[in-house]
Amino acid sequence: MKTKFLSSLLDFFVFSLGFASLLISFIFPQAEGTPFTSANYPIIISLIILLTLLIIFLDSQRTTLDTKIIPFLGVLIAINSGIRFLENAIPGPAGFSPTFFLIILTGYFFGSRMGFLMGSMTMLVSATLTGGVGPWLPGQMITAGWVGQSSGLLSKPIKRFGLQGNLIEILLIAFIGGLWGMLYGAIMNLWFWPYLGGPFDQSWLQGAGFSSNLQRYLTYYISTSLFWDITRSIGNVLVIIGLTKPVLKIFKRFKERFSFSYLREHKG
Amino acid sequence: MKNTTSWILWFAVSLIILLSTRNPIYIIMVLVGCFILGFNLLQKDESSFWFKQNFRFLLTMIFISTFINGLFTHIGSTRIFTIPAHWPLIGGEITLESIAYGAINGLIISAIYLLFNVLNLALSIKQLINLIPRAFYPIAIMTSIALTFFPSIQKRAKEIKEAQMIRGNAMKKVTDWLPILMPLLITSLENAFLLSESMMARGFHTQTNEKETRFPLLMLVLGIFSIFSGLLLNLYNYSSAIFISLYIFGFVIICASIWITNRSAQVTKFYRETWKRNDIIASAIFITALVIFITMRITGNLPTLSYTPYPTLSLPDFQFAPLILCSLTTLPIAWISHD
Repeated sequence: MKTKFLSSLLDFFVFSLGFASLLISFIFPQAEGTPFTSANYPIIISLIILLTLLIIFLDSQRTTLDTKIIPFLGVLIAINSGIRFLENAIPGPAGFSPTFFLIILTGYFFGSRMGFLMGSMTMLVSATLTGGVGPWLPGQMITAGWVGQSSGLLSKPIKRFGLQGNLIEILLIAFIGGLWGMLYGAIMNLWFWPYLGGPFDQSWLQGAGFSSNLQRYLTYYISTSLFWDITRSIGNVLVIIGLTKPVLKIFKRFKERFSFSYLREHKG
Repeated sequence: MKNTTSWILWFAVSLIILLSTRNPIYIIMVLVGCFILGFNLLQKDESSFWFKQNFRFLLTMIFISTFINGLFTHIGSTRIFTIPAHWPLIGGEITLESIAYGAINGLIISAIYLLFNVLNLALSIKQLINLIPRAFYPIAIMTSIALTFFPSIQKRAKEIKEAQMIRGNAMKKVTDWLPILMPLLITSLENAFLLSESMMARGFHTQTNEKETRFPLLMLVLGIFSIFSGLLLNLYNYSSAIFISLYIFGFVIICASIWITNRSAQVTKFYRETWKRNDIIASAIFITALVIFITMRITGNLPTLSYTPYPTLSLPDFQFAPLILCSLTTLPIAWISHD
C-alpha cells in the first residue's frame, strides 16, 4: 500500500514537472530576464525531462521490473520498435503511426506503469536503431510514456462497469488512441515552438499573457500540424478497432504465464 | 579513437561551445568540423549520401529561419526593400540584419542536429547501451533484450508476411495485418518466456530492497526539483549566485543518488572497454579544452562569443583561443580507422 502510494506520488511529480517544463513558455511568459529564445532553452528542458524519466525508471526497478517482466517488455518493445522502423522506411499517410497501438494496449492491460515503460522505451530503442538520438528524444519518451500511462487509467472503470469483452471497451480504447493521436503532436511541438516559432502571429512572444500565447500557439498548431495529427488520430482509431480484440486475447494468455510469485521458505 | 568516454567528451566540448556563442564564425567552424568528421566516419559509398542529406537539411533550416525572421522582424538599419505597411503581418522594411539573424538561428539548429548525428555515427549500439549507469541495469538489460531480439523479429515478420502473401493476403486493410501480427506476437512472447525462465535458472534477480532504494529515489526527486527551481530563477533574472548554486546542488544530489544505487547493484561485466593511447590523449585534450573554455568564459575573456547583427550589420570579431577550441571538433579524424 505504502509502495503504491509512493509510486503514485512519483508519477504525479514526474507528470507535473515534465508538463511544466514543456509548458514553461505558457506558464512563465512574463519571465523577461533571460533571452528565452536562446539555443540553450530546448537543451535544458530536454535535460530536465530526461532526469524526470530517471525517477520513473528507478521506481519501476523496485516495484515493477522483475525477472519475468524484463524479457516480456523487452520483446514487446522490440516488436514495437520494428513497427516504428518500418514506419520510418515506408512512411504511412501523413502522421499515421502504428506504434501507439501496442503502447496503448500494454498500458490498458498491464497497468499504467507498464504502459509508461513501454512508451518511453519504445522511443529510446527505436531512436537507437535509427540513429535518432538527439535533444528531441526525452520529449518523445515522456510523451509516449504518458500515452501508455493514461491508457492504464481506463482499465479500472471498464472492470468496474463490467465492460470487458464488450464493444464499448474497444470504443473507449479507440477514443484514447484518437485523443493521443492529436495530443502527441501538440505536446511535441511545445518543445521547439518558443524557440523556432513561425510567422509573427504564430510565434511565441516573450512577456505576452497566457491567453495571447495560447492563441498564437493554436494558430501555429492549426496551420502546421492539425492535418498531420488528424491522420494519426484516425489511423490509431482504425488500428485499435481492427486489432484490439485478438491482441488482448494473447495478452491475457501470456499475463497468466508471466505473472507468478515465489514464496520464501520459512526458516525453522 | 573508439572509446565511449572520449567521444562523450568530444560531444560535450562541441555542444558547450555551440550553446555559448552566437558568433557565426565559431558556429560555422563547428558545423564544418561535424561535416568533415561525419564524412570520414562513414565508408566511402555511404558518406556522399550522408553528406548530401545533411547539407540539404542545413540549407533548409537556414532558408526557413532566414525567411521567417526576415519577413516578420522589421528591425535593423540596412533596408533591402519595403513591403507596403498596410499588408498584414509582413508589411514593413525587410532588412539585411534580420536576414542575418535568421541565418544564424538556422546555423545553430543545424549544428546541434549534426553534433548528435555524428555521435550516433561514432558510437555503436553496444556503446550507447553501456552509457546507461549501473544503477539502471534492469533498464539496460531490457534495452539490450529489445535490441537483440529486433533483427530476429524483423526477419520473422518478413517470413510471415511472405507466407501470407503466397496464400493470397493482399495486405490492404488494417485487418489484413492480423495474420502477421498474431503469429509474430505469439512466437516472440514464447521466446521471451523461455528467456525469462533461463534468466531465473541462472539466478538473475532484479527486485531490490524497497527500503534501500527509497532514499536514493527521494534524493533524485530533490535534485531534479532543485535544477528546475534554478531554471525558473534563471528565467526571472535572479542573482546568478542563487540559480547556479541550485544547479550545482541538484547536480551533486543526483550524482550522489546514482552513486548510492550503483553501489547496491551487483553487476558482472564480461566486457570492459579498453583505453588506448589515442583515447587517453584525445580525452586529456578535450578535458583541458573544456576547463580552459569555462575559465575564460567565467572570467569574461571571450567577448567575441556574443554577436548580434542588430542594429547595423557588421563583420563578427574573432579570437584565436575560441577558434582553436572550435577546430577541436575535427580532432578525432586523426585517429579514425575503418578497420
